[in-house]
Amino acid sequence: MITQEENRSNLRDTKPYVVVKNLVTQFFTSKGIVKALDKVSFEIYPGEIYGLVGESGCGKSVTSTSIMDLIPDPPGRIISGEIYIDSFNILSDLKSLARINIKSETDVRIKRNKRANKRHNEIMSRIRGDKISMIFQEPFLALNPTMRIGEQIMESILLHNILSISEGIIRRNNISQVDLDKFIKNLNGEKDTLKRKKIINNFVSEYGIPEFEESISSLIENSTDDSYIKTEIINMIQENKKDIDLKFINEVKEYYTLQDQLFSLTLQEIQAERTGETALMNQKREEVKALRKYILNKFFILRMKLRFAEKHYMTPFRKEARRRAIELLSLVNIAGPEIVVDSYPHELSGGMQQRAMIAMALASNPKMLIADEPTTALDVTTQAQILEIIKDLNQLIGMGVLFITHDLAVIAEMCDRVGVMYAGNLVEETTTTEIFNDPKHPYTVGLMNSVPRADKKREREIKLDTIPGTVPNLITPPSGCRFHPRCKFAMDICSLKKPKLVEISPQHKVACFLYSDESEVD
Amino acid sequence: MELRYYIIRRLLILIPTLFGLILLTFILLRAVPTPDLISSFISQKATPKEKAIETAQAISFLGLNQPLPVQFFYYLNDIIHGNLGVMYTSFYTGPVMGGIERFLPYTLELSIATVILSIIIAIPLGTYIGARPNSPSDAIGRIFSLGIYAMPVFWLALLSQIIFGHDIGIFGSYGLPISGEGYPTTTKVPWIVNNVSEPTHMLLVDALLHGNLAIAYSAFIHMILPVGVLTLSILAGLLRFIRAGMVDTANQEFIKTARAKGVPEKLVLRKHVRKNALLPSVTVIGLLMAGLLGGVVVIEDVFDLRGMGRLTLATITGLNIQFYGVAGTVLFFGIILMLTNLIVDVVYAFLDPRIRY
Repeated sequence: MITQEENRSNLRDTKPYVVVKNLVTQFFTSKGIVKALDKVSFEIYPGEIYGLVGESGCGKSVTSTSIMDLIPDPPGRIISGEIYIDSFNILSDLKSLARINIKSETDVRIKRNKRANKRHNEIMSRIRGDKISMIFQEPFLALNPTMRIGEQIMESILLHNILSISEGIIRRNNISQVDLDKFIKNLNGEKDTLKRKKIINNFVSEYGIPEFEESISSLIENSTDDSYIKTEIINMIQENKKDIDLKFINEVKEYYTLQDQLFSLTLQEIQAERTGETALMNQKREEVKALRKYILNKFFILRMKLRFAEKHYMTPFRKEARRRAIELLSLVNIAGPEIVVDSYPHELSGGMQQRAMIAMALASNPKMLIADEPTTALDVTTQAQILEIIKDLNQLIGMGVLFITHDLAVIAEMCDRVGVMYAGNLVEETTTTEIFNDPKHPYTVGLMNSVPRADKKREREIKLDTIPGTVPNLITPPSGCRFHPRCKFAMDICSLKKPKLVEISPQHKVACFLYSDESEVD
Repeated sequence: MELRYYIIRRLLILIPTLFGLILLTFILLRAVPTPDLISSFISQKATPKEKAIETAQAISFLGLNQPLPVQFFYYLNDIIHGNLGVMYTSFYTGPVMGGIERFLPYTLELSIATVILSIIIAIPLGTYIGARPNSPSDAIGRIFSLGIYAMPVFWLALLSQIIFGHDIGIFGSYGLPISGEGYPTTTKVPWIVNNVSEPTHMLLVDALLHGNLAIAYSAFIHMILPVGVLTLSILAGLLRFIRAGMVDTANQEFIKTARAKGVPEKLVLRKHVRKNALLPSVTVIGLLMAGLLGGVVVIEDVFDLRGMGRLTLATITGLNIQFYGVAGTVLFFGIILMLTNLIVDVVYAFLDPRIRY
């Protein structure tokens, strides 16, 4: 626990990776407007596991889907707020996406701006899966039933890593004795089998020779003569030279480099839009237009090839992607990844499916993983394994995790910091130790008391404490503090004003009038 | 390969089904009173004595004096040898099997053209509409589908003849033909014998095979209106079906996963939504094909086409009901339906890896 504390206080100095500020998400249904999220704010630092906990229907999943901007629309929409992912506000052009005209609770007219939405989707498809990934509650539903597992992972790899793969393939043609010497030297200095395997993997990946992975590892195992190994590797590459159309690879590389350029220009355009520099914005807009037109014209044939015969033309890329998919599958402890990669989702067990999901989410080394109740649909032993994998990934790669669950035991096991949600509000936020030792908000206290505990069972042989009442209907949420109808300590002010989430002690924030008089100004 | 075993299993299941079908048509035949069954073998002008002799001859010729199991054995033997009996109608007189051989290709030609055309139109259009539920284009699609769906096909056919043949005048007596089999009877070519083209009996295909472009063009022109009307009638249902599949699939959880991976919107539609949405349509398309092969009686009648539908109709509309004709065509349609089902199931299993039973 102490190490966790230290770990976290170190994190404080760095910049948060995900910042959610005053997030408001609503669903426009025929019965009225569901105010699912009401000004939720929190931050997640790189490398930490942040838990969101609460009863079902309190807005945990809506929060995570809002961060990915995957709220099903219609009926839902993010109304206002800011979400920064790696210091980029994905909601900066929220106003231009759609005009919402609320005539009454049940009569809402939404006018979407097609052009703005298209640009927004383009940007989001670059961020999703690349900077931030997500795994879902029910892996069976979350995997495409008609695509092989490997195909689904490869899709993700090919979307985000095509440049690095093409560079590797180009590099293989210029492979020199020096590179091989370095590889052999690295290998000889290592005795551990797993680490040796990793070195081979890295070498194969760097030089774009996925098809020789097995030959190289068996060569190394069966031979001690370094110069023989080197000549054999060079021979292999020379022999297969005709399989690689270097001109095509270069073309693909150029195409995707230009696409990246287009993306960064678009970001600059948005930046200019935000700061209000009209001249710069117009200039950037023209540049984007010109570059897009240039790409469309120059790569017409390439685009047609990719559109209609992707599997044929992308073979060298797909080989490397497949190798990486197998590597990812073994990273998440799947036995026999070479077989699983060619299986369909329905042929795997729930735990295996969830692992495959995690492998897919890791395809481009995102710094942040959103795990939306990843273990709820699994049985207990599998649950423990999945949690262990997520924890391991967090410690090994330093990947941040937003962990959503209703299970306090899981929170205690996994998280560094915890946010407690109630009816679309964040009511308390603190470290895991604090939340179990000293919960402040009446709702958190109630939540803690409703957990069965082995040590308390003998002491008092009464029933578990439960929080009276149920989660309120969010179409007509209670005024003021949304918890006040169920709260033992409710005061007059609670129904009038909404408490603000304030820091009452270091690293402990609570939104309750018992601890602070501050209220949110509407 | 699991799929291979699946196909073999399905083929084996086909044998008892076929046997059941044959038994059924046999029972159907034997349920008919004997005098009706043999009526076409007895001349109406004969004296009662001659009639009695002819009746006895017919009974022994048809084997009706044998015990039922033996009769069934003969029936089975005949079917295996392609002998489905004889029919006597003004539309066609001769062996039932010969009639099917002669009239099926025309229906086959129409059905294949119709199914291909409707698939080519329905898939892109359905995808387009299904990707934009509740948009103006969806509303137009809905109105079109419901409108066409509510119209009887024969009325649509008549309407098309009136509009294109009379009002606009592209087709019709002064322009292009609105009906008929597709070549002037005065044309003399060696490969058309007795109004039947050789070797496939499909005029368009045969004309192309023989390199006679004039007849091929004529055949093509003659197909436009019937195929157009049939396509329109099929399209209405198919479009709604694909649209519903698209909307349904787009709400699935794995589409959210695809978006979460960063798949661009267009690719989500193309790679993830469409393939899964089109799966159920395979069944519908297969059943439509079977229905079309059964002969679209009304359409063939309106456009004066000589196909399976007309043959079937002829067996029951003549002076005497042609029981062998009825039994033969029923058996034939049953086999067509079974085979189509088999093909549909295999295609489905090929497309959807979850289906292997």
